[in-house]
Amino acid sequence: MVINMELKELIISLSSLMSVTGYESHDSDRLESLIGEYFDENHTDKLGNRIFVKKCGKEGAPRILVDTHMDEIGMFVTEIKDGGFLTVTNVGGVDTGILQASDVVIYGEKPIFGVVGSTPPHLQKPDDAGKLREIGELLIDTGYKKEELEKLVRVGTPVGFAPKYSTLAGGQIAGKGFDNKSCVACVVEGIKRAGNRLAGDVYLMLSSREETGRAGGGALTGAYNIDPDYALVADVNLGRTPDTKKNETVEVGGGVSLTLCPVTDKKLTKMTVELVKSKGIKYQLDVTGGGTGTNTPDINLTRAGIPCVDVGLPLKCMHTCAEVIDLADSDALASLVCEFVCSEEIAEVFAR
Amino acid sequence: MTGKEKIELLRELCLVCGPTGSEEKVADVIREKLGILGYEYTTDRLGNVIVHISREDAPRFMVSAHMDEVGFIVNEITEDGYLRFAALGGIDPRVLSGKHVILEGNDGTPVQGIIGSKAIHHQTPEERKTAKKIKDMYIDIGVKKREEAESFVSLGTSGTFDSEFVLFGDGFIKSKAIDDRLGCAIMLDVLGRIKDKELPLDLYFCFTVREEIGLSGARTAAQALSPEYSVVLESTAVADLPDVPENSRVSELGKGGAISLRDRSTIYDRGFVRFALSIAEKDNIPVQIKRYVSGGNDAGHIHKSNAGVRALAISAPSRYIHSPACVINEADYFSMGDLLYAIITEFDAEEIKNA
Repeated sequence: MVINMELKELIISLSSLMSVTGYESHDSDRLESLIGEYFDENHTDKLGNRIFVKKCGKEGAPRILVDTHMDEIGMFVTEIKDGGFLTVTNVGGVDTGILQASDVVIYGEKPIFGVVGSTPPHLQKPDDAGKLREIGELLIDTGYKKEELEKLVRVGTPVGFAPKYSTLAGGQIAGKGFDNKSCVACVVEGIKRAGNRLAGDVYLMLSSREETGRAGGGALTGAYNIDPDYALVADVNLGRTPDTKKNETVEVGGGVSLTLCPVTDKKLTKMTVELVKSKGIKYQLDVTGGGTGTNTPDINLTRAGIPCVDVGLPLKCMHTCAEVIDLADSDALASLVCEFVCSEEIAEVFAR
Repeated sequence: MTGKEKIELLRELCLVCGPTGSEEKVADVIREKLGILGYEYTTDRLGNVIVHISREDAPRFMVSAHMDEVGFIVNEITEDGYLRFAALGGIDPRVLSGKHVILEGNDGTPVQGIIGSKAIHHQTPEERKTAKKIKDMYIDIGVKKREEAESFVSLGTSGTFDSEFVLFGDGFIKSKAIDDRLGCAIMLDVLGRIKDKELPLDLYFCFTVREEIGLSGARTAAQALSPEYSVVLESTAVADLPDVPENSRVSELGKGGAISLRDRSTIYDRGFVRFALSIAEKDNIPVQIKRYVSGGNDAGHIHKSNAGVRALAISAPSRYIHSPACVINEADYFSMGDLLYAIITEFDAEEIKNA
């Protein structure tokens, strides 16, 4: 495979941004400098969705929503303790099993480096072994005195994982924040590739507040404002590892995934699958009984209903500092998005 | 060396991979530094690197720090290209999931991987409360088949954490392998300071192998060199955390090197401990007494070697040792070097024996 270095760089640059749920605008300027040039205009709505618009130039063209969430799981400070330690609670589904000995950044008056503490084997009590501590019991070590720390941090200050990226032996890449900014990079790349072949006006919504589920409402309200004719929702999808079941996961390296379930539009999905097939893009189907675990159910039920196709970038070790994706899948997702927003056939069927 | 140079030396040493049993790359860096300092060295049959600063009719005195660090060794390559592994040294499984690692590839080039972890979405409520066992974990090197994995690594390939060296807070350092590259760095610092000085000792500086599993390198080095005195430079656990009462704090960061009275492997020489404390007081060097009997180090074998050796251990108080993120205070690093220098240059056997 020819590795698209530009896409790889964009994935890593975007994933390094601080965008803990509720703080999506923290690196707003950097976001704009990374992707702004590919769009005609952009704005941020009331709940923090960042909308980038690219017009096709045709009168009365359909409005195509491409949604991919921008926020990332993280933590916030709950107490400043003696000796310069912080306690935190989770924002979104943080896996406490990966926290100990992880590097974090505390986004206070200035970014502060911190380490999540652990107990060395030398000091462990026998009854503690094997138990995972709850997140509130963990301490973040900042190396500051309490008085200094209180000037920089307060209760509620957000905390994110420190950016770190590795290229694995087989070429896959590992790091934090790929959920979901790797998808942001792929859809931007797809829209960029589409050039002036767009079948409608494209509204790229980098939605806010996905990771906190029902307490979110980013995509729901964002889609209401945009009022699209149809939508594509791109999110990372649970990748297969030795400790997971085949029918609950997708293969990392197996191509972009398309979700079949009651929430996704049957016809739109079918047309997208056919499009992908005809263009030789590597794909796989992911079947679920209920929802999608993405923004699709919310967008689908916006206004009088919006037909959605739900596509996924397979990712291993979700919600950790070592999420793993395959650049061939990223490239496939970019190609899919490109073909989707260029498809006159889909536009014809789904334009209101 | 300036403080900045000392930090850079520590950075360079910590970032080298040297899991127990595969210390060659660390030894290479140390030999290079010794060469620059103008010292001759030998490497013994186990891999210990030894500098001898000889002086006839002076007490035989051994200073040591170990080159190895905790890590892992591949013990199975699965059909779908994942690596199962065992720990090298004592590692709490709870610091492993979701960490980046580096393995020494078949052709000597580093192979990057991560320790995989089932997504929280797939974990049962019970799994969310239970630490995974190391035998159930796997390293993901981003390949899909065993054959592909085997082109990079083999059974027996070992590796360590891939963790950044970070200066943070108020003079703190976070890195992997501080245990015990810090000791190695202090030895190199002091070797620089005593170069061409007339010393009251027949001195051996030993950079040892395989401390984390069985204190092996130090054992054979001590047996071969038969010192009368031994100083071990180490890292020690601290427990200087909020809510821990003072008497349960093993040691505290920023208060100087910790001198052990006893640990799980050694009873230290009372006279030598008193001598070290009095020198520290005289020269105004901060030190503290390690409060709690825990851990052990190379002194465990050294003090029992041959006909017995008077042992002293000076340890850097280090939070979270044996994890990818060990934390020390730079002031302790610097003052430990001062203390070792003072002990060597002001050595007085009579004072130790009469203390």
